[in-house]
Amino acid sequence: MTTLRIAWRNLWRNPRRTALALAAIGLSVGLVLAYDAMLRAVGDWMVETITGPLLGHVQVHAADWRKDRAMDRTLRRAGALCDAIARDPDVGSVTARVYAPALAALSDEGFAVMVIGVDRARETGAARLLAPDAPAIEGKRVLMGRALAETMNAHAGATIAIVGQGADGSLANDLYTVAGLIETPMDLVNRQGVIMALGEAQALFSMDDEAHEIVIHARDAARVDAVAARLAALPILEGADVLDWKRLQPEMVSMLGVVEMAWLLILVLVFVAAAAGVANTMLMATFERTREFGMLLALGLRPTRIVAMIVAESVALGAVGAAAGAALGIALVAATHDSGVDFATLTGQGTSAISAMGIRWSLRMYPSLAAVDLVGAVGAVVMTSMLASAWPALRVGRLQPARALRS
Amino acid sequence: MMWCRPLAVVALAIIGMASIPPVPPAPDVDALLRHLDDLYRSKSSIARIEIQVINPRTTRSLRLKAWTRGEEHSLIVIEAPPREAGTATLRVEDNLWNYLPRIARTIRVPPSAMLGSWMGTDFTNDDLVHESSMRRDFASRVDRRSDAPAGWWLRLDVKPDIVGRWARIDVLVSDDDLPVEERFYDRKGRLARTMTFDEVRPLGGRRMPVHLTLVPADVDGQRTEMRYLEAQFDVALPEDTFSLSRLEQNR
Repeated sequence: MTTLRIAWRNLWRNPRRTALALAAIGLSVGLVLAYDAMLRAVGDWMVETITGPLLGHVQVHAADWRKDRAMDRTLRRAGALCDAIARDPDVGSVTARVYAPALAALSDEGFAVMVIGVDRARETGAARLLAPDAPAIEGKRVLMGRALAETMNAHAGATIAIVGQGADGSLANDLYTVAGLIETPMDLVNRQGVIMALGEAQALFSMDDEAHEIVIHARDAARVDAVAARLAALPILEGADVLDWKRLQPEMVSMLGVVEMAWLLILVLVFVAAAAGVANTMLMATFERTREFGMLLALGLRPTRIVAMIVAESVALGAVGAAAGAALGIALVAATHDSGVDFATLTGQGTSAISAMGIRWSLRMYPSLAAVDLVGAVGAVVMTSMLASAWPALRVGRLQPARALRS
Repeated sequence: MMWCRPLAVVALAIIGMASIPPVPPAPDVDALLRHLDDLYRSKSSIARIEIQVINPRTTRSLRLKAWTRGEEHSLIVIEAPPREAGTATLRVEDNLWNYLPRIARTIRVPPSAMLGSWMGTDFTNDDLVHESSMRRDFASRVDRRSDAPAGWWLRLDVKPDIVGRWARIDVLVSDDDLPVEERFYDRKGRLARTMTFDEVRPLGGRRMPVHLTLVPADVDGQRTEMRYLEAQFDVALPEDTFSLSRLEQNR
């Protein structure tokens, strides 16, 4: 205890040096944490953008539907399936869809479209297919992708004919009113989509309580694998295709892997730079005091005591600095966690979103930190400062008092 | 017995030759293809056809009446089942329109939907439009002799500057100049579908296979069968048969 007290007092014998060291450590930890939070933001942002609107975390299809998307490969009793899936505690939302290729026509010119039958309420929200302000789609009212509407020269209020093939092979055709034009994050939907109420799509395409796809969002994206495995084991889903988004979109996963690897590499560089700064500060602080240690040795202090004192000083310095840095990092993240960081303003570009791989990527990201990040960063810095002081401390232990005093 | 041997050899040779039927001279491919094109269409035709779409899960039947003139005009009206009755398809050159009586609309099929199924069958819209372009778009030659049935395999390779679905079509024509089988290969050289022709009988004053089966190669248990119930050829058709106005009031 005395050692620690002496160490603490020693630290403040030279307030400027200690304050400098604390600032260096604090800034390093703060920046590492801020960067770590951005890394999480990018990861979450990519997963959310990819899975949010259309893909979902887990999808269920009838066997072989993904192969040929045949209209008659449907999931029967879709309502009961959704209810059974919703009973899983980790499932956040479940919704059924109908996908039907069709022709849409304003006059006599047909256009290839994809009719998507959806549950309006369950497809609405942030990072979902439909924005909360999208018009309602009851009965014969449909939404149309804006790009498709431009191609067709259709506008809200227009009447369109939709012609396709029913699940029983029969001809499906009816007239619909365009309730509104929508701009979704999915290019495919914007260019080809006609969004219809699920029940109406089932009626048009001669389907009972059937669907082509059930989309599940897990409460926690990190637990998707477990959720998918549990759902696949449900007896009611026997014979169906239950796949998580990583298996549905392997190319997205590899893209995500590349991006995360690049960020991770930078994180390593940032951390190494921070650690070097801490180590340098500690080394200099110890070398500077060679004369002082020589004096203590000459007074008869045992070398082990001196070593213990130096290490205690370092750890105290590291811990206080890391705590300050953690506070800084947490403050930075807390300030941006809810509103997000808008990369569009940061890069000075006018667009608020970019289009890539058929998805519109908003440029706003939401930094977040996990306890493991904090513990990791603080722990690593304390360890670094301890190791950085150990070498000069051991050197001090072997010091000749007379020579040290003269240095 | 030595004197017997040459005689035996000669005898064997004669027997051997007799057992191989004389190989007919290779046909004039172009004339043969024109004949095949003509077989089901002639200058003009009216036919009643039954179509069955069969897959492992369901079977669906359609009955339709079809009018054709030359190679570029056709009108198909569905007569049964009642739910689809009156639905009609008009083809004039490269254009295809569907008339839908339920919503009283005529819709032109866009190029992007040409490869889509026609009325839920294994035929595509493109098949209706390009059924007559074989001789124009493909370089044809006699490929090899077929023994059972006796006939010739013709091979059609797409001309280099043509953009289409098929890279190659093999056609088996029997010695009585009737189609037996057609094999369609896609742009990657894979067999994509097979069409077989059987049940040869007199119809509309000519002998022709009245039963056609289209089997896509990639879907197990899936096929579309087409049976000619009645046919008349080279009949006079009113000038406006193949017009949009006729399409919408043809019953």
